[in-house]
Amino acid sequence: MARKTNLVRTLSNWALAPGRSRFCRALGGPTRPSGIRPHATFLLRNLPTRVLRRRQEWEPPQLRCLPAFLFFSPAAEMDSAGIMGEEASRQLQVRFVTKLLPPLKVPPRSIAVPSGLTRMGLSEIVNHILGGGDSDYQPQPFDFLIDGEFVRMSLEEFLLAKGISAEKILEIEYVKAVVPRKQDDPCLHDDWVSAVDGSNTRFILTGCYDSFARVWKDGTSCTHVLEGHSGAVTSVSFINRKEAQRDGTLYVGTASKDRTLRLWKFDTVEPVKNMEKVRAFKVLNGHTAAVQSITSEPSGDMVCSGSWDCTMKLWALNDADAEGDQVSVKKRKANSDASLDEESQLEGGAISTFNGHTQCVSSVVWAERQTIYSASWDHSVRRWDVSTGENSWNMRKSWGTTFMKKFRRDIPSFEMWKVCGKALNCLDVGGEGFALIAAGGSDPVLRIWDPRRPGSLAPVYQFSSHSSWITSCKWHRRSWFHLVSASYDGKVMLWDLRTAWPLSVIDSHTDKVLCADWWKDDSLISGGADSKLFISSGITIQ
Amino acid sequence: MSKTGQTGPLPRAGLTGPDSLRRGPCRPRFTNGRHPSQPRLILWRAGEALGCVAGAPARPVQATWRGRCPAGPPRSEPNRTEPELRPTPEDVLGFLLCGAPECLVSGGRTEDEEEERRKKRKMARKSREQEKLRLKKIPEEKVPEGPARDGDEEHGEAIDDGALRDQQGSSRDEEDSGRVRGEDGEVAAEESDSSEDEVPDRNTIGGVPLKWYDEEEHIGYDVSGKKIRKQAKRDKIDSFLAGADDAKSWRKIYDEYNDEEIDLTKDERRIIRRLMKGKTPHADVDPYAPYVDWFEWEDKGLPLSSAPEPKRRFTPSKWEHRKVVQYVRAIRKGWIKFEKPKEEPRFYDLWGDESTSVENEHHRLSYIPAPKPKAPGHEESVNPSVEYVPTQEEVNSYQLMDEEDRPKLIPKRYESLRSVPAYEHGMREVFERCLDLYLCPRTRKKRINIDPESLKPKLPSRKDLKPYPSTCYLEYKGHTGSVLSISIEVTGQWIASGSTDGTVRVWEIETGRCLRIWEIGEAVQHVAWNPLPDLPVLAVSAGQDVLMLNTGLGDAEQQLRIKELLHVEEPSTLDDAGNNISLVRWVQHGKLDAIRLVHLKAVSAVEWHSKGDYFITLVPTLLIHRLSKKLTFNPLKRLHGLPVSSVFHPSRRILFVATKKNVRVYDLSKETPTFVKKLETGVREVSSVAIHPAGDNVIVGSKDGKLCWFDMDLSSQPYKTLRTHAKDITNVAFHRSYPLFASSSDDCTAYVFHGMVYSDLNQNPLIVPLEILRGHKDSNGRGVMDCKFHPRQPWLFTAGADSVVKLFCH
Repeated sequence: MARKTNLVRTLSNWALAPGRSRFCRALGGPTRPSGIRPHATFLLRNLPTRVLRRRQEWEPPQLRCLPAFLFFSPAAEMDSAGIMGEEASRQLQVRFVTKLLPPLKVPPRSIAVPSGLTRMGLSEIVNHILGGGDSDYQPQPFDFLIDGEFVRMSLEEFLLAKGISAEKILEIEYVKAVVPRKQDDPCLHDDWVSAVDGSNTRFILTGCYDSFARVWKDGTSCTHVLEGHSGAVTSVSFINRKEAQRDGTLYVGTASKDRTLRLWKFDTVEPVKNMEKVRAFKVLNGHTAAVQSITSEPSGDMVCSGSWDCTMKLWALNDADAEGDQVSVKKRKANSDASLDEESQLEGGAISTFNGHTQCVSSVVWAERQTIYSASWDHSVRRWDVSTGENSWNMRKSWGTTFMKKFRRDIPSFEMWKVCGKALNCLDVGGEGFALIAAGGSDPVLRIWDPRRPGSLAPVYQFSSHSSWITSCKWHRRSWFHLVSASYDGKVMLWDLRTAWPLSVIDSHTDKVLCADWWKDDSLISGGADSKLFISSGITIQ
Repeated sequence: MSKTGQTGPLPRAGLTGPDSLRRGPCRPRFTNGRHPSQPRLILWRAGEALGCVAGAPARPVQATWRGRCPAGPPRSEPNRTEPELRPTPEDVLGFLLCGAPECLVSGGRTEDEEEERRKKRKMARKSREQEKLRLKKIPEEKVPEGPARDGDEEHGEAIDDGALRDQQGSSRDEEDSGRVRGEDGEVAAEESDSSEDEVPDRNTIGGVPLKWYDEEEHIGYDVSGKKIRKQAKRDKIDSFLAGADDAKSWRKIYDEYNDEEIDLTKDERRIIRRLMKGKTPHADVDPYAPYVDWFEWEDKGLPLSSAPEPKRRFTPSKWEHRKVVQYVRAIRKGWIKFEKPKEEPRFYDLWGDESTSVENEHHRLSYIPAPKPKAPGHEESVNPSVEYVPTQEEVNSYQLMDEEDRPKLIPKRYESLRSVPAYEHGMREVFERCLDLYLCPRTRKKRINIDPESLKPKLPSRKDLKPYPSTCYLEYKGHTGSVLSISIEVTGQWIASGSTDGTVRVWEIETGRCLRIWEIGEAVQHVAWNPLPDLPVLAVSAGQDVLMLNTGLGDAEQQLRIKELLHVEEPSTLDDAGNNISLVRWVQHGKLDAIRLVHLKAVSAVEWHSKGDYFITLVPTLLIHRLSKKLTFNPLKRLHGLPVSSVFHPSRRILFVATKKNVRVYDLSKETPTFVKKLETGVREVSSVAIHPAGDNVIVGSKDGKLCWFDMDLSSQPYKTLRTHAKDITNVAFHRSYPLFASSSDDCTAYVFHGMVYSDLNQNPLIVPLEILRGHKDSNGRGVMDCKFHPRQPWLFTAGADSVVKLFCH
């Protein structure tokens, strides 16, 4: 772990090295690594991420041809051997290391390989070693790291670009290559899929423009339809309550353009044959404009929402002290609202309102217990410090004025970063130390900031392979390097911080992709304007 | 005295020149009735002789010849020069005999004798004058000359001897003369004024020929009329003997006229001697005295006539006057040119060294010397030895060389030096040299080292003016006809678009999702959101109707309010004043949740006031409606021109009405709108107008592609006119918060400008063109129909005739 930390540090150092943008201009646009001349590859060492946009133009063919190529046959071996013979002008001493488990571990001895080998050739060698004489062995693609960076060109060029000596034994780490499996039959929706949440390992939660939220079990069948919103659902979130985990009840919060948030709970233990319609157990009124985003506290006691009325609101989830709320609902019922005909439905008000943003709060993330990050169209990212303290938390059972006061007093403590001058659409916090902020907005660049860096608001990483607005970005929950982004250009991209190009591009969508998330740590789920939810599984994150 | 012209050294005094004659004792007297020509002759003779002797060109002097003139009238031209002219003894004798130099004689005689002689001569003169008068009366009787000449000859011989003899002692006499010079000069000066100093002749017969008395015993008559007896004539021998005896005989001369012998005095002899030597008679005469020209020869001569000056000499001449008039006319008409055109040298020496000329003193540095020709060598005329002749390979290699480096002459071997031909390129090289000199650019090229970039106005770079819309990321597709108008909801969440397909659509800006569609049925000309955020009402103009659509976007309370607001009771409108009814009918729309304002004519535009209550419709008369009261006014009864577009001032109660020619500003704060000012656009036809959110700047788009920026504080003329679009500008727009403005045009582009307005009144607005937004396609000659800025983001929406609405982001 410590090694990885250092790795990220060094990576961020070179990414922020002075002259970075100059090299970017000098190279001007995506460059096919195999076509890079030696003197140009030298510049690649400082290559910024922005240069490498539209990397997917060359990346997918490689990936596509991988399986066929890696199908280990004598012919292929001969073929490659021929290539090797031709290019055997220079040999490198390499040693393959891995953190993979023994079946995929090669003996740690050094071998000589031609310097012109690319990722595919290396993968072939590893497969060859692993396969040995076993005919049952299924070759699989690998990805290779040298000094913590993915090899995306021939070894020779890579060494030249990085200035690594070829005299010593080169240590190449290999990991399983990311080859997402395409889902053949996407989960069809009635309207645009606007939100997706994959934080639950069993269920996928989607929000749709037809004002319903849906729960998909194992990514195949829709088990629950959450009815109740009168406008498009904009954001959905699982609420992880520990007691709920135990008894199999699932809590879900949804935000909608009808200016309300709704909280739902349903039992997941009993098998469901057909789609079960669920009604919200609590309606959270308070926003005066469309609610754009919802996030839940890690412990699942509160939800936070961001809205078009430029505010963020904190809502309590607890249903224990339902009396006061219930009363209010009944009052309102008596007054006018005939639409709320369900008895069990509660209404709740916001605990607290965070004023500060000047425009639509497009995304909120409750990263830690005390910290909420929010992104807004006013080009700012804010970190709200919800330092409520132990006393307040103890008073959870009875929300009293003390708590409210204390909470309100603490609200103005936020940090604001006017980061990029673009309206931000999405935000996620993750990465190294759970501190890097990834955000995308009204331009095709996915930016990652490190708020711990003092005095600098320049993004640590910029990924610019997209060609339109970025609508969603999510960090991998466990990996520090991987994140996914979705864009209006219809593509979902999988990023690794260690390389400037997307690890993988999923272009199964035919229209704008509105949301994307990880599911079960090895799958990507994405929904878009083509009313489909795609699940791309088989992503190996080491 | 005489106007004849030669100037020369004239003796000042003495007997030689006119001056000396005037001063001296023999000064001629013209006043006593003597004929002036006679006394002049002798003086001329003497002067001529003496002037010639003096070695200088003799001044022709008309001397008077008094008495009998032995030589007669002057024999030669006055200005002739005779190199060998010396006074002959005859001349000298004649000179003496005519009695002019009495002074010469005066010194040698006693007082009595002198007195007597004087008397005699006076009488003789008188008689001679009388004789002359008489002769004049008888002009036939001319004076015979012969005897006088004879007599002269006789005397000449006599004196010739004496003169010869006297020459021997000339040197001695010279000393004498030098010694006595002073005294004689004084004496001469004393006697010079006396007119009676001449010894009168004894004989008084005057000028009659003496031969008349040859037969007589007397020679003539004396003063008293007594006969003067001839002296007894001695024969030659006697006279010779007498002469031999008499030692003084050499100095005696015989006066035939008076029939007496005259003994020449010493002074007379000296004079003769001097004359014969060619000197002046008097020793004290300086022949080379500095010449003082006492006479003004031109004008001050004695008048020839005493007639008074004629009048014509004082009056301006008529003919001169005419001539002057002619000249004046000629000058005026330019026939006479005073300044002759400067004659340019026919050939200009291009390469002449101009460093010395004055005008090049200033720019000595600009002197360009002629390029030096290559000095002639001798290699052409050499028969080179074999080793200097290049081989064929070398010759071939010359062809590969650059032409300038290539050797002009390839040496060849000849049989002998004699067979070496003339250099074949000689003429050509001379010709090329001439061409070089002639065609060489003589001007020193003044390269102006100005960076063309520096000539551009100092505009800030576009990078510094970010953010501004530049890239299209989102499109709002769905319309089937060209989108004529768009409007963005004030919170920036929704955009409405009206199209010729008869629909109004509301889109979600963020995702590009179409939220609602209203079928209006007619081509939607204009859509406008109510500027209040809590009143999401959309004004739509289609055909003759204006619809107030309830978009249903607000929350429940807002919806209640809107429903209330958009409810209109039919009778209430009918109950309105007749004027209003005739203008507009407020009707509840049958199907849609909307109010319908039925106008009399097609409505072209709807514009809200910023408070959200009033709105304008252009019918094309301008109507102001009030939504809350459902009232309609026609505030501008008389409008100059057809209103094209109209906007409210964002904060003050001012209305801008764009007519086809210019923009008129009305003040609405009074009861009746008053005309404030007129903004003169100077464009062909105004198509759109927009006002800066601060309210002091207005942009006007025109149908000839020009964009005018008016600074209301500055003047009513455009502050800047930007010629940007190739086709009609369809709309112009200001951003609400960013310093941006944009124009959309039928040439399928939209231009984005930076338009910074400073709060400092002294600073003019800064206008920087930023970006040309392309992407729309041409559809029936129409391009971009409308452009609007996002109210909060620096984004521009453009509505295209290709039925697409595009969002350009930064």
